[in-house]
Amino acid sequence: MEFSTILGAWVAAFLTIGIFSYLYKDNPFYKAAEHLFVGVSAGYLLSLGFWTQLQPNLFGRLFPAKHYDPDTITYTIYNVLSFFSSSIFPEGGIDKGHDQHLTYLIPLALGVMMLLSLIPRFSWMARWGIAYVVGMAAGLKAYGYLNSNVLGQIKGTAVNLLDFSLPVFSLSSPSIFNNIIIFVGTICGLLYFYFSKEHKGLLGKASKIGIYFLMISFGASFGFAVMGRISLLIGRFTDLIKYSGSEYNYATFWVLFIIVGALGYAAYKEEDRGVIAPIDNLGSSTEEE
Amino acid sequence: MDKIENIFLKIGSVDRRWIFIVIAVVVIIPLLVPIGLPIRATDTSKSVYDAIEALPKGSNVLLSIEYSPSTKPENHPMTISIMRHLFRNDQKVYVTCLWPDGQFMAQDALKQVAEGEFNKTYGEDYVLLGYRPGGEAVVKGIVSNIRKLFSVDAKQTKVDDIPMMDGITNFKDFDFLFSASAGYPGTIEWVQYAADPTGVPMSSGVTSIQVNEVMPYVQSGQMVGVLAGMPGAAEYESLINQKGSATSGMDAQSVAHLVIVLFIVLGNISFFIERKRSRKY
Repeated sequence: MEFSTILGAWVAAFLTIGIFSYLYKDNPFYKAAEHLFVGVSAGYLLSLGFWTQLQPNLFGRLFPAKHYDPDTITYTIYNVLSFFSSSIFPEGGIDKGHDQHLTYLIPLALGVMMLLSLIPRFSWMARWGIAYVVGMAAGLKAYGYLNSNVLGQIKGTAVNLLDFSLPVFSLSSPSIFNNIIIFVGTICGLLYFYFSKEHKGLLGKASKIGIYFLMISFGASFGFAVMGRISLLIGRFTDLIKYSGSEYNYATFWVLFIIVGALGYAAYKEEDRGVIAPIDNLGSSTEEE
Repeated sequence: MDKIENIFLKIGSVDRRWIFIVIAVVVIIPLLVPIGLPIRATDTSKSVYDAIEALPKGSNVLLSIEYSPSTKPENHPMTISIMRHLFRNDQKVYVTCLWPDGQFMAQDALKQVAEGEFNKTYGEDYVLLGYRPGGEAVVKGIVSNIRKLFSVDAKQTKVDDIPMMDGITNFKDFDFLFSASAGYPGTIEWVQYAADPTGVPMSSGVTSIQVNEVMPYVQSGQMVGVLAGMPGAAEYESLINQKGSATSGMDAQSVAHLVIVLFIVLGNISFFIERKRSRKY
């Protein structure tokens, strides 16, 4: 097995057990893993965003190779930029299959304006870029939400209660019983959120039924959340079991031994100094919450 | 009676670290010693299988990867199973990523399935178009003009030079979409900005936590079935008759659920006893 694969397994085992060590208490192993995750994620996202979008789709449209002419102002600027970074601005223009679109100077300007928020004197300029993003996102969201979540869902819940071609009762396929459940659940659930009239009498009863439907939904969400977390735990344990083999030089066991040993020693020293409660005090949970 | 109540009270006040240890043990043991509990496919998983099975040979299928290593145990087995099914039926697979880490996940799955198991040719049978930042704006871009957004693929090859990109200009040129999603941007954005406006059928494999959000789209017919979390992935593995990591994880999943239910019951009993006693005094 390659050295890099074994090293990767050791790093993965260390980071996994480091994160799990938080279940015991906050400690430097957890903090190191957490900080590494945040830093690497931010760096990776920035790098990937630049090389997959900004360089090919923005600079690639401003300085395309197919229109390269060193005598024009655009490409004179390009050659200056190329002098500083030939990887971003390679010689002869950026060849990503685009035509030249100088209108892309507008998003470039808006992007630069957003970065100016770092300079207090020019931070007001960032509002222009943010205003564009907010406006564009709001417009985009409004259509998609109305079409799919409002109209699509209304269509989905507009069921025929008296469709006698369906069986009277079936849990997993369309049936008259299921249609009644959809109808009652939708109406009562909506009535629960109707606050213009006091929830008394018929409205009160209907909204109470609505609460039960909502509770069932929350219960299902909780169940799925637990299932998801257990799945992730299984994933990590599967990897840890894999890394505990001889081909990875028993990475899991060694890392576990080092982390548990270090935390145990730290707890022993702290207990000795009277900083923390003894470890054997695990019988009581009163200090936890 | 008081003695029994005291036992329940003691269980109710146990340090949560003991619970973590118990959960860890009940997850590890079935992973080391598999029980082999049966897996039965639900209707929603069967719908996904039937929809893909019904596609004519050589259909253009867009596979969008929207997850990162953090949800790999749930989403990755689905992606691998879906790829196996698609390549077995000789479909053309176009892979895009709405999440930056998705590109690595896609590369990993393609290496295992397309190259390792089916010996497919890059650019003719499958292509990895890669990641583009922008969330729903990327989905809109694919719907209107995919070539404007993806002028090069993940290997920086011009899409004009990729044979299977001939005739692909927008979302309507695809016959089916499968989104392997772990959150935003993901399945919901594909429904809102791609599948609903164009009518191209789509399906999805989501993390467990997303199931409740996505299920209304399945019920209303806006989506064709859904693979729900690790059980959904395991069900799909059984449908294509090729067991994988999801199937082996289901024993641990089932046992852990039983133990969690037991903890919830014990916690509630302890809570009610405590409330009864506090009222008494």
